[in-house]
Amino acid sequence: MTKMDLMLVRMIKNSKSQFLAVLIIIITGICVYTSMSMASANLSDTLDTYYEENRFPHLFVQVLGVPVQVAERLERVEGVGKVTGSLVMDVPVLTEDTEKRKTLRLITIKGDEQELSRSTLLSGRALSDNRKEIWLINQYAKANGIKAGDEIRVQISGADYTMEVAGIVANPEYIYLLESSQSIMPDDEGFGIGYLKEPLGRLIVDEGQNYNYIRIEYEPGAKEEALIEAVEAQLKPYGIISSVKREDQLSNAMIQEELLNLRRLSDSLPLLFLFVAGFILMMILSRMVKKDRLKIGILKAIGYDNQQILLHYVKYAVMAGLAGGLLGSTLGMALAGAMTKLYLEFFNLPLLTVNFDITYIFKAMFLAALFCLISGVVGARGVLKIAPSESMREEPPKKGKRILLERVHFLWKRFSFSRKLVMKNVFRNKKRTAFVISGVALTYGMILFTVTMPSVVDQMMNLHFTEFQKMDYNIGFYKPVDERAVRDLYHIIPIDHAEGKIEYPFELSRGHREVTVNILGLKKDTQFYSFKDTSNRMISMPERGILLSENLAKTLKAEKGDLIRIRSLLTEKEDVEIPVAGVVKQSLGMNLKSMRAQLSGLEASYAMAKETVSKNKILYEQGVLSRQEYDRAVTAERELAAQISSPAIFY
Amino acid sequence: MEILRVENLCKSYQMGEVEVKALTDASFSVEKGEFVVVLGPSGSGKSTLLNIIGGMDSPTSGKVFFKDEEITGFDDKKLTEYRRKRVGFVFQYYNVMANLTAEENVELAMEIVENPLPIDEVIEAVGLSSRRDHFPSQLSGGEQQRVSIARAIAKNPELLLCDEPTGALDYNTGISIMALLSKLNREMGKTLIVITHNSDIALMADRVIRMRSGQIIENTVNENPINAEEIKW
Repeated sequence: MTKMDLMLVRMIKNSKSQFLAVLIIIITGICVYTSMSMASANLSDTLDTYYEENRFPHLFVQVLGVPVQVAERLERVEGVGKVTGSLVMDVPVLTEDTEKRKTLRLITIKGDEQELSRSTLLSGRALSDNRKEIWLINQYAKANGIKAGDEIRVQISGADYTMEVAGIVANPEYIYLLESSQSIMPDDEGFGIGYLKEPLGRLIVDEGQNYNYIRIEYEPGAKEEALIEAVEAQLKPYGIISSVKREDQLSNAMIQEELLNLRRLSDSLPLLFLFVAGFILMMILSRMVKKDRLKIGILKAIGYDNQQILLHYVKYAVMAGLAGGLLGSTLGMALAGAMTKLYLEFFNLPLLTVNFDITYIFKAMFLAALFCLISGVVGARGVLKIAPSESMREEPPKKGKRILLERVHFLWKRFSFSRKLVMKNVFRNKKRTAFVISGVALTYGMILFTVTMPSVVDQMMNLHFTEFQKMDYNIGFYKPVDERAVRDLYHIIPIDHAEGKIEYPFELSRGHREVTVNILGLKKDTQFYSFKDTSNRMISMPERGILLSENLAKTLKAEKGDLIRIRSLLTEKEDVEIPVAGVVKQSLGMNLKSMRAQLSGLEASYAMAKETVSKNKILYEQGVLSRQEYDRAVTAERELAAQISSPAIFY
Repeated sequence: MEILRVENLCKSYQMGEVEVKALTDASFSVEKGEFVVVLGPSGSGKSTLLNIIGGMDSPTSGKVFFKDEEITGFDDKKLTEYRRKRVGFVFQYYNVMANLTAEENVELAMEIVENPLPIDEVIEAVGLSSRRDHFPSQLSGGEQQRVSIARAIAKNPELLLCDEPTGALDYNTGISIMALLSKLNREMGKTLIVITHNSDIALMADRVIRMRSGQIIENTVNENPINAEEIKW
């Protein structure tokens, strides 16, 4: 070891606490980086394996009803490898608790090995062909304390069915168990998936020899867009409700979003720590160089050159980086396994692929060393300026001059001597003052943001439910129902006012811009919905034409008076061109985690939408969503967000 | 044989709006193996002169030749090399590295040259054999100055520049340090330039250069230099 290095080691030893403080920050940052990156990689690997083993499809098509033969014929489309059709229907679960609405989505399966979206049986047994039994998704079973062998009662088309829970399963389509894109958070207790054999499904669901849900697996090298076009062309006569690519499939999109967030967090959070550590190191070295002015002069007098001396100080920083990188990544690797398990548990993934990728240690050490090297060079660059002869003399005092405040005589003369000194320090060290002020401002900003955010959300909620959407309940129907159903509601439950609406997906286009959105058809005299234009003026539903939300108008680059081409995805009706009657302010989104495939926010007149879709039918949306439930979901989401963000704020 | 030649050396500093002339038209030469004392009161320009000769500072005008090379024309890299290979410095306040032992301080200088003197010989020469593993905080002022001298000669330089080497020492220690420097000059043949304000030390020198207000006022050869032990101040 050279004597310069020996000096360095002893210097570190003599200022242990200082070095340790920097080391802890680096270790924390690198630990977060390694553990999160590895957890993210493991989670991604596990997900890929799970998808592969359970044959997670590439395309999901929801149709009104397509004959089995037509569905099977889809396998002849170029690029299609395998097709699996199912009957899907959401049914209410009958329980003692009448307060809590519970819905079970029944999905028929064939039960063969070749089937797409195969479930993994976690407990229980295989489904038999001739008994009324179902497999229940793990999340719902767990939340409701249901085990294999228990019974579950559901209501299908008005009739009660009691079915035995043959097994508890996990399924790649419902890793993230959301009822629909409108759901804010998974409600494991209120919504579940039940798998039943196809013959039983056909027996209890009156759908004839049809499927209403098709899953498609591509052959390797398939051209997706052409394939989708061909599939949609074949299914169009049977009414396509939605055609969703794997990347947009609700559960997959959510989990990919989580993975992306995890990756982003694992990329950004450590940088924050490393920036802080780098900044501290820079300050330490800059002060050290100032303090060691004489020592540096002596070294230069002896014959050491600038590079050798600079390296001596930079080594301090690099050692902190390497030690922090090594310790942090080792700790991170130890935590990665536990973290991966936690994520897998959170996502209900039955598989576990934990790989300890040793390259993360090198990556982490390189990252930390690089940050520290840069900080070291910046912090210690003062070495270069020290002339050996100058260093032997005392450093001359800084040039002093009157500060701005001194010119305000009546104020300045009122200050005590010590206060004058403080003021002079504040004004003369402008960089330091600016840094302290920014630090304090940032801290207060973060605190204020955290404290005020809940009340801002509350205000948005209040505004949304008192001004833009005033209904207490939304009742959705599985199938379109006649308008008389609205009138019938007055006889069934005590209500002040009820009105029907229709909501269906359409493809909107203007020029080369295209977007698929849900269209909301409302009565002209709707009492539940109200709209404000971009100038905050209340506007009523137009006689003809559509109202576009601000975002949608931006996407389509459309303004009031422009024509929008609307194509129905469900029927063979010809495209229609409708003028934009106005652009309205975006009210609170129903889905906080809005997805590309489920952009909502286009309102059309009830009459127009009805005409475009079907005659005298109010289209369905399953389930009932009350304002309170929505409120609860938003609160739960907020609490979760607060839990996730609190460590970051703490740091 | 001439080892150092200073020609019309000038150095001035700008202190605010005032120009301070630290050195004015200084010229002299030093023979190899000579013991030169630069004598003058505080502010006479002797430290400035030493810094320029040692390649630690640059003059405003004038030239300094080490052997046949003009060091005043050197760039930073060459000046560093000059300081490393040709010159050894001894400072008034020792300036040894606090977190290195006596021996390690000497090795610090040895590590950057190709042909250093053997460490044991150097330590022995400065009389620090029994204190070689001690840190500066465990050494007296005189011992620290011995470390500083050892560090300077360990590189085996041709020129030893000493800036008030006894300035921070008591009488007896000062005498012993001067005796050591004189021994190194005589036995090792090192050219020695000592700057001091102590005129008694000049009695030991082969040549005495007197300075006042940045100017050389006298450059004399001492025909009968005395031993350090004979000096009294």
